[in-house]
Amino acid sequence: MFKLFASSNIFFWIEKLISFINSIFFVLLLVALSFALIFSPPDYLQGDSVRIMYVHVPSAWIGLASFTSIALLSIANFIFKIKNIKLVTKSIAPIGLMFTCLAIVTGSLWGQPTWGTWWAWDARITSMLILSLFYIAFIAAHKFINEEDKANKVSSIIAIIGLINVPIIKYSVDWWNTLHQPASIKIIGSSSIHSSMLMPLFLMFFVLILYCALIFLMKYKTEIIRIKKKNLKRL
Amino acid sequence: MIQNLISMNGYGLFVWASFSITFLVCALVYLRTYKTLKKYEREFAKEINQLSFEQKKTVVENSKIASQVLSSYSKTI
Repeated sequence: MFKLFASSNIFFWIEKLISFINSIFFVLLLVALSFALIFSPPDYLQGDSVRIMYVHVPSAWIGLASFTSIALLSIANFIFKIKNIKLVTKSIAPIGLMFTCLAIVTGSLWGQPTWGTWWAWDARITSMLILSLFYIAFIAAHKFINEEDKANKVSSIIAIIGLINVPIIKYSVDWWNTLHQPASIKIIGSSSIHSSMLMPLFLMFFVLILYCALIFLMKYKTEIIRIKKKNLKRL
Repeated sequence: MIQNLISMNGYGLFVWASFSITFLVCALVYLRTYKTLKKYEREFAKEINQLSFEQKKTVVENSKIASQVLSSYSKTI
């Protein structure tokens, strides 16, 4: 089964997937932006500032999901020792960091008109900041530790420790009294957000997921080439 | 209508700044990733091309990836 994950098998499909995503991406982006900026209604309380949600919420979801997958894959790497897992986690990390930072910045831009402040040491915001620090530590481990095995071990440990922060982020709005509003979209139970806003939100999320897939595939391909280039003489 | 779209009832600065920063960062990261990928492809193909005929043949036969990179590189030049 692990042969499926062999880099030579994966490499062939990466090129095809990149071209497919490139062909549909801009059309979907245009549709998503039209809904987010024009067709979706303003909020009865927050007015048009609610439109920031269409970039802020998907960015935060991607930041959280990326770190969770990095941590789970690191655990899998400790158990199964699959070589490609480290390439996957190394490729996901910069994307996750980028979206976590975007969630913080767009959150700050949303905070100013709604809360009257750019920043607050609020449980949700602070835990998101801690998440970005875990991402930085993960990337730094790969960058500054020369011995590859040691770098993988250290980065995996960072990711596994950082996993503790994920439920803290998720439930911070329930556990503490925060400025940040509680979750409007629930996995279990009904969401307190109208479909006219939910649809553009999921559309924008889908577009950003496609973007992540595109960047991930390109980074993963770069990593495979880098390794092959290093081992060229052995071929 | 365009005036409304730009001003967003006074929230325009915050809304447009959020969308601009997000998509500008996304575009920059895309460009950087694409450039790095192409750089590695180019360097890898160059290194293969510098090998002797026999070595090159062995590399292409033994590695699917090397042959794919080589063929996509030769398509672009």
